[in-house]
Amino acid sequence: MKTGKSITRRDFLKGTAGIVLTSAIGAGLPSIVFAQAKSRVIVVRNAAVIDQDGKINEAVLQGMLDDAVKAITKKKTAQAGWKSLIKRSDIVGIKTNAWRHLRTPAELEQAIKSRVLEAGVDEKNLSIDDKGVRANKVFQNSTALVNARPLRIHHWSGVGTCLKNYIMFVPTPSEYHPDGCADLGKIWTLPVVKGKTRLNIQVALTPQFYGRGANFFDRRYVWDYKGLIVGTDPVAVDAVGAELLRLKRMAHFGEDRTMDVTPHHINVADKKYKLGNSDLKNIEIVKIGWKEGVLL
Amino acid sequence: MKKFEALIIGLVIFVYSVFISGAAFCDNAAAMKGVSAMWPAEIYGWKIAEGPTLYDSKTAYKYMNGAAELFIAFNMRTLTVLQYGKSGQPSITLEIFNMDSSADAYGIFSFESDDPGAGVGQGSEFGGGLLRFWKGNYFVSVYGDKPGTAVEAATLSLGGKVSSAVKETGGLPKILALLPDKVSQYEKKQAWFLHSHILMNQRFFIAYENILKLSGNVDAALGQYVRGKDKAYLLVIRYPSQAIAADAFNSFKKAYMPGAAGMSVKTENGKWTAVEKRGEYLAVVFDAPDEKYAAQMIKSQTGRIGEVK
Repeated sequence: MKTGKSITRRDFLKGTAGIVLTSAIGAGLPSIVFAQAKSRVIVVRNAAVIDQDGKINEAVLQGMLDDAVKAITKKKTAQAGWKSLIKRSDIVGIKTNAWRHLRTPAELEQAIKSRVLEAGVDEKNLSIDDKGVRANKVFQNSTALVNARPLRIHHWSGVGTCLKNYIMFVPTPSEYHPDGCADLGKIWTLPVVKGKTRLNIQVALTPQFYGRGANFFDRRYVWDYKGLIVGTDPVAVDAVGAELLRLKRMAHFGEDRTMDVTPHHINVADKKYKLGNSDLKNIEIVKIGWKEGVLL
Repeated sequence: MKKFEALIIGLVIFVYSVFISGAAFCDNAAAMKGVSAMWPAEIYGWKIAEGPTLYDSKTAYKYMNGAAELFIAFNMRTLTVLQYGKSGQPSITLEIFNMDSSADAYGIFSFESDDPGAGVGQGSEFGGGLLRFWKGNYFVSVYGDKPGTAVEAATLSLGGKVSSAVKETGGLPKILALLPDKVSQYEKKQAWFLHSHILMNQRFFIAYENILKLSGNVDAALGQYVRGKDKAYLLVIRYPSQAIAADAFNSFKKAYMPGAAGMSVKTENGKWTAVEKRGEYLAVVFDAPDEKYAAQMIKSQTGRIGEVK
């Protein structure tokens, strides 16, 4: 993506590049606290959601999603919570992620779908898609989106985030790869998605916290966290997800082993595109369920 | 008249479609013919369950999303994917990347290697059930879906079979030889071969824009030199022509060293950057401790250019 004047390493060293560059060379992010309302992020976990063979318990997963929606909407039932998020008249796209090694589980897709249908949405106005969203009529005409993707490290963006999950809405995703996908937040300002996202779900059932290479799943660095990270603020959800991966690296390696790319696109989405809170000080993390090894 | 025009337009579209799809089919068939002898039908009871499926640089995104860009940045020609299955056992995925050159096959392999070698091909690593190796113009990955002694043995054996089928070996990127092992008290700790400014920025951030004009037909070698906690970087780039090298030199000077009278400049961290163009080569030093050392680093490689051409 063209950014006008070329910002170089020296601009960073001078401190004149602004917030966009803060992490381009791996430096830590400045702790700038704006006077904005706190975001709430729900971390829901259940030890029984995955069995010893890696099979997902659908009922348990549905219960986790329901608990998260009740907590984020502050409604007494999941159905009431979903009705506060989705209108009967909405045309709803459920944006998933089909990366073959670690995809959005079909069980979660169905759990979301069933609740959206219960909210009164006509089934013909509902679609689940990833790579085909640009050609999908429901997504083209959507009035509401639910964003669900697995939490993992990512070659281009540092962390595979909810922000990153919308890259399939642009015709040439690779244009967003420079500088650790810093400008992913821009996608969220495009008409096809702007203002439509009602819920963001980082699927942390089996997150991947470390790895090398663009396409290489590495099961040595995947663990059974058995959680969902849920919120209406995508930046806050992603900030919590990135922090979880960082804490897991610390626990595993005894240090925060350097990643090739830092997830600074989360910070840029906050400071440049004003999409939400990236500073953990401005995020209230509500933990529900299984506490062992919660890390956060 | 309108019907006639529509007929003509339809005919043109039909002929064009047949031509294009036919050409694509011929291309794919030719590419497939080139690699079809590389894999066995069966390995330790695992048989081909899916594939071979052939992708090129335009279609690889369908298989691996944005990850394809990494391989394309190393001049991937084709990717062939097969899946092997065996009852009661995890599946094994074989990915064969046919790269533009052995330098590129080495480049993609070495850009992110992290595990112990496995003695396969010209360079390999095996960890977490994943075997990666390069040989000749090929970069290959073999991966078992789940852990297990049998599947790992089959993964390694499958890799060995594919490696054996590649008859020709290839050389390392010549430009890597321009990076000396040591300059004064600084020792080379790591070195990377690449073509892409995005990948360059992953190893050492220079600028958002491609101010050094890197591209698929431009070879670059980046070396990290270490003395205690101090790090300096030497970057050597070979362009297709002197004119392109001159363009890149001017672009870099303008963006990174504005106002610098000579070929070196003290940067805001108190260290030194220097640049020199020689023929179709460009050498750039970053984070040298002083101007003299920056000049020494530049000199350390320019004398070697004639030796590696």
